[in-house]
Amino acid sequence: MNFPILHIPVVGDGMTIALNAVLHVCISHGLAIGLMGMVVLFQTLTWKGKGQFWADIARKVLGPLVVITTSIGAVTGVGIWVLTGSLAPEGIGALIHLFFWPWFIEWFAFTAEVILLLYYYYNWEKLITTRPGKLAAIGWAYVATSFVSAVLITGILGFMLTPQGWPWARSFTEAYFNPTFAPQCFLRVGGGFAMGTLMMMGWIAWRFTGTPLERGRALRACGIALLLSVAVTAAASYVYFSRVPSTYLTHWKFAVATSYLSQMPDFLPAANVGAVLVLVLAALAAMARPPVLSRLLCIPALLLSICFVMEFERVREFVRGPYLMPGYMHASQITLVESEAMIAENQPLLPRLRWVNTSDKLPPATQAARALFAANCGVCHAESGINGIDQRLAGRSADGINAMLGITQRLAPYMTPFVGSEQERTLLTEYLFQLSSNYSRRNQQATREK
Amino acid sequence: MQQWTDLFLNMPLPENWMKGLLFITFGLHLLFVLLMLGTAILSLLFFLRDLLRQPSPSQHWNEHVAHSHMGLKSLAVVLGVAPLLIMQVSHSQAFFTVTVLFSYSWLAIIPLLITAFLLFDAFAHKLGSTTWLALVCGIVGVAALLTVPAIFTGALALMERPASWADFAAHGVSLDTDWMPHWVLRYLHIVGAALAFGAAFHLFYSAKNDAPKAVLLRKWLIGALAVQAIIGFALLATILPQMSSPVLTLISLGALALGSALWILRPDSTAAAYRLLALLPLIFVTMLLARQLLQNEAMAPAQAEATAWRAQKAAELAPFSQKALDAFAVKLRTVYDNGDTIYDGACEPCHGLDGRGVGSESHRLRIPATDLAALRIDRDYAYEMIRDGTPGTGMPYFRMFDREKIDALLDTLDRRFSMFAATPPPPRDISPDSLEVWIAACAKCHAANGSVTASGKAMQPPPPDFRRSSVTHERALKIITEGYPGTGMPAYRNQPEKIREDLAIISNSFRAAHNKN
Repeated sequence: MNFPILHIPVVGDGMTIALNAVLHVCISHGLAIGLMGMVVLFQTLTWKGKGQFWADIARKVLGPLVVITTSIGAVTGVGIWVLTGSLAPEGIGALIHLFFWPWFIEWFAFTAEVILLLYYYYNWEKLITTRPGKLAAIGWAYVATSFVSAVLITGILGFMLTPQGWPWARSFTEAYFNPTFAPQCFLRVGGGFAMGTLMMMGWIAWRFTGTPLERGRALRACGIALLLSVAVTAAASYVYFSRVPSTYLTHWKFAVATSYLSQMPDFLPAANVGAVLVLVLAALAAMARPPVLSRLLCIPALLLSICFVMEFERVREFVRGPYLMPGYMHASQITLVESEAMIAENQPLLPRLRWVNTSDKLPPATQAARALFAANCGVCHAESGINGIDQRLAGRSADGINAMLGITQRLAPYMTPFVGSEQERTLLTEYLFQLSSNYSRRNQQATREK
Repeated sequence: MQQWTDLFLNMPLPENWMKGLLFITFGLHLLFVLLMLGTAILSLLFFLRDLLRQPSPSQHWNEHVAHSHMGLKSLAVVLGVAPLLIMQVSHSQAFFTVTVLFSYSWLAIIPLLITAFLLFDAFAHKLGSTTWLALVCGIVGVAALLTVPAIFTGALALMERPASWADFAAHGVSLDTDWMPHWVLRYLHIVGAALAFGAAFHLFYSAKNDAPKAVLLRKWLIGALAVQAIIGFALLATILPQMSSPVLTLISLGALALGSALWILRPDSTAAAYRLLALLPLIFVTMLLARQLLQNEAMAPAQAEATAWRAQKAAELAPFSQKALDAFAVKLRTVYDNGDTIYDGACEPCHGLDGRGVGSESHRLRIPATDLAALRIDRDYAYEMIRDGTPGTGMPYFRMFDREKIDALLDTLDRRFSMFAATPPPPRDISPDSLEVWIAACAKCHAANGSVTASGKAMQPPPPDFRRSSVTHERALKIITEGYPGTGMPAYRNQPEKIREDLAIISNSFRAAHNKN
């Protein structure tokens, strides 16, 4: 590979990216699209003569919303680039070369979005009484650009899952306008609105100090919006998942529920149905107007909607199987064609790695084995820690590990193939066996000490 | 050569267009970064100065300055996306190499910026009301903010020095790093520029109707520009060997504009401050253009070398494209929702298609894979073994398959090998001699009742639990006679055949007695 390889120890690459990405999605979808949409809607209701309290609620929410979206939301968005550039330079580099123009155009939409948001925020006091219609127009323009921004980025994200056409046709349109494009747009926007309405509902139920009648009307509006959002999200999710190739979806339970819970067949479907029920109940409670139930339900409903975001992102990332870019590149950043050529000719991998970490002053064999591990396995497994390979292989014999290395792709459908010569496979086997033996020894010692 | 063998060879625009786009977008980004950084530093300094003069100073004007920070920082961040995108395409070699080499500092930008932005927002919100909170938030927030340009300038300095990459990878950064003076001066140059542009911005934005504040900001501006001139010359000295005529021309022009700006700002000047509006962009554009020319010249060779290497590799790999696509097509069609697919993928390499333990990878195993065709065990016992694997052998756990998949696999095992069939009852009575041998030898590990003793459990791999597992009589006899290679099961070929036959019957009788399916 052309670039140095970095993997985050203990926490692992996947968890590091997930922590940043989930936070970003919750803010970019929930706040920037959903909550901001509700703010603009409420302000518009005041402009249309439905009462001053709508705008009062919107103004109270707007300040923290702008601070969080422009601080945490924007930085975690750029953070995804920073992280992927560090952890998967070949992957993100290839993706950027393919999708340069949508990303570049999205930059305009993103910039317009920020300018409109700032204009809306800074000019609120000046326009709310004198020109509320103009303020609402700016607000709706913001909502429109945030939708355009979501649409533009969805093509790139959807491509990772549904590549049925692109690897063969090699055209941009095949890659970008993939089968999950439209449902994913509705899913993201609908989900964002659901989160936004829940946040708004929570604020009104807990913090609004207007009359009970005003609070009841505001809660009812949130309830209706939440119910609609949930319905759109559910319908879009159904279409979306029906378009993802079955081979990728086959492991969704394991992806979400871990190996322990995935052994309980009904756990995940029941948990999902239960979560949807809580969301619907929260919507119905808000529509019924008394704030007590909304106060009680908005918190679990919001937490569950965050769980849904985590589940969706986890499934989206995991079910890509062994590919970083399906049909083109494995998760290990080795292209399919290179892996095919090297396996066919029993070529060694080490001479192809332009960078090998020599800073630890390890014996040459260990250094080589660590480089092989980093290149072949490191994207999913840390040596130790979350999904640590030492724990995963604990108790297996060395010859068993060697056999497994040869059949990684057959062993589990989402594992990448081992790339390297027979000699390198033996080298890596010895290293992995040593790691797993150390883990077993530590475990036995810990058991004895107990 | 097929293009898709290496997407890095796909360029969205000709090289010069990319350079032009980078210049424009980076210029916009940098401008707002300088305004944002300058605003933050100046606002904190004004706050500290006022605080030292009186305990509860009025911060009305400073609030106005500080509140502009949110808009500036939002635009600085969003405008940074385009140059980041273009750099990743046009200077991919330097960008990604240094991004990884600089990784932990680079990743630290995320928490640092979030901390800085939130704390500065809190500072702006509290500086007129809660002094101590504003003080803490302001100092920590601006300190966090100031670390970010240090990281960026370090990464850029390294990007422009391909010859130093290997040394940096091996030793990291230290005070005697040869480009350290350049880095430090470049960082100070950015901070100085931020103060200059921040002061100029607020001169026209926050203090346009406030003469005393305008005087204050003019002082800051003249000071910052003067310091910039000094730092700039020192910085030039660190890159003197890389100078070319166009770069020198641009720098001279920028220096001339800077001198003119200082002349306009001199204390007794009556010149309109608005003349600065022409000079400051000129300084900015000339310096930025000079910087980009230097950067392009420094990065071009490594980029060209990497592109040539990729093109050559793509040509070599092209013959394997179709094969890779075919394999991918097979993978796309394979759905792991049935036991046959799982068995043929995950189990066959060791156990073989006929279950006899001689699959394609079985020759690597010191302990032979179990002969599934001869196995007769309880379904839940088989489930546990598949789920958890067998310690001490090559049998991995298959917890990565959810319960339905393992159940489907168990169905397949039963259909193909009758694995869960009942164990036939013992065909005849066992001789007392054989029972004695069982108690004396076998029961040490297998236990008298067919379960596993404590010492058996300590073995790697442990023996099977005969109450839940058996094998065909022929297989049992073979294992008793020859032992099980690689495990604690020894060969008992010295025992008379009659006894071995009896031992085979005994070992299968426990499951037969439980008669469990």
